[in-house]
Amino acid sequence: MTSQSFEEFLVLSVDLTAFEETDLLGTGLAHQYLAKVRDACGDEVVTALLDAHRAARADAGDGAGSHDRALLDRALRHRIFSDDRLGPVARNVVKLWYSGTWYGLPPEWTDRYGARTAAETSTVTAASYQEGLLWPAIGANPPGARAPGYGSWAQPPRIEDRYLRGEGK
Amino acid sequence: MTASTIDSRDDLISYLHAAMALEHATIPTYLTAYYSIHSATNSDAAHIIRVVAVEEMLHLTLAANVLNAIGGTPDLTAPGFVPSYPAYLPDGEDDFTVDLRPFSPEAVETFCKIERPGKAPSGSSRLVRASDNGRPLLAASPTAKGMRFYSIGEFYEEIIEGLEKVAADDPGLFCGHPALQVGPEYFYSGGGTVITVSDLDSARRALRFIAAQGEGLDSGIHDADGELAHYYRFRQLQLGRYYQVGDHPDAPSGPPLSVSWDDVYRLKVSARLADYPAGSELAGAARKFNADYEAFLALLTKAFNGKPDLLQDAVWYMFRLRDGFNRLVRNPLPGSDGLHAAPTFEIPNAVGPGPDAARTAGGTAQAVTR
Repeated sequence: MTSQSFEEFLVLSVDLTAFEETDLLGTGLAHQYLAKVRDACGDEVVTALLDAHRAARADAGDGAGSHDRALLDRALRHRIFSDDRLGPVARNVVKLWYSGTWYGLPPEWTDRYGARTAAETSTVTAASYQEGLLWPAIGANPPGARAPGYGSWAQPPRIEDRYLRGEGK
Repeated sequence: MTASTIDSRDDLISYLHAAMALEHATIPTYLTAYYSIHSATNSDAAHIIRVVAVEEMLHLTLAANVLNAIGGTPDLTAPGFVPSYPAYLPDGEDDFTVDLRPFSPEAVETFCKIERPGKAPSGSSRLVRASDNGRPLLAASPTAKGMRFYSIGEFYEEIIEGLEKVAADDPGLFCGHPALQVGPEYFYSGGGTVITVSDLDSARRALRFIAAQGEGLDSGIHDADGELAHYYRFRQLQLGRYYQVGDHPDAPSGPPLSVSWDDVYRLKVSARLADYPAGSELAGAARKFNADYEAFLALLTKAFNGKPDLLQDAVWYMFRLRDGFNRLVRNPLPGSDGLHAAPTFEIPNAVGPGPDAARTAGGTAQAVTR
């Protein structure tokens, strides 16, 4: 695993999850998630996914390092999500970050692309449940883990400002 | 015996402000080591550090109770309350600095220095001249210029003697409103019960309890309740064994204790905001942590000024601080040779607590209004 592909996986994950890189690294699980995707789908699929993402960013780039969000959204759909091979993997990467679980890809995918382990559903580590992006996204704590303090559940959820203002689109 | 440096209620009040700053000053340093440990590893070390950190919070509360009992006003938002790390301890010991470092032999060495037994060789050597090494000394003796204390234990002994002396001349010394006291219904933890202070006797008990739990002037390994003093808790990490009752201080004979110095995020020591790339997400996260911490101190200030039930909210704040801590330490700090980020505890505008300071200061997350 090269550090370059790790960096690319991080940038891909930022685009796929809409969380900042600091938040993703803040889970402490980014390396394990990339390893999980590689184990499940194989290096070739991961390389193709990162290549497609790089191309999508280039499509949406202004040449000066910035991106038009609407263009990027379109390019991601075009190059990744609508692709038979890469689309299901990318959706699984989103689910991996949000839930900490690798969900088995359907048999049609593994029959066609060969990576049998991709069909198995599994949790990455015990910590991945606690660190799922699902919890900060809904302003809640993972039930049974990462205690938020006795009685805190009587308080309204704490949602990031940017979501309350409807920003980000 | 040197002359007392405490002659009046005002002197006592400044000493007790220094005591609160002293108890607080150790907490960021213990928490930094604690949160640098990879989760699910180093359980012996993590447990020891956690217990001590929680007891420092108890000591902070006890010092606030004594201050309130004599009519003072605790203020954790006062400029300088949070030291700029690396810092000298606010009791004036100046042969070592306290920094924010990851769990390591150096960190444990510092912890032992903070908590070391410190009975001065004689009553006359409690106060020693502060060395003039050009670094700011936070408080030392608040009343005797240029003097510092031999140890934390001697610092508290001075306060206790001062209380006795001033109380003898002023029967109205303990004039604080009882409603300001934080009682055991608001604060509980594993190591010791909070003591409400209303007179000389309870003040003495509260302060002696702090000193005994730290290291004690009597240098005993265990206190009267059988609790291991902080100094010896940390010594276990250096010696690799737990103490049992009856052990010689240099030779614990309990079960071995395993420490894995490698299962730790290598944090930048005493990181400052200036170490963070300007304008980066990570700098934003570090700033947010400081803002959350400032709001937390403002909340504690309100709790210690007549709203002890707010200590329940403080628990929620602490869990959020934990999450902020974890988020930072798992991020590499760019430009620091692979070292990781950590909270800087630089409190931007340490101002007096406004009525809503705790609710509004900093933080990008807010509660959804119902």
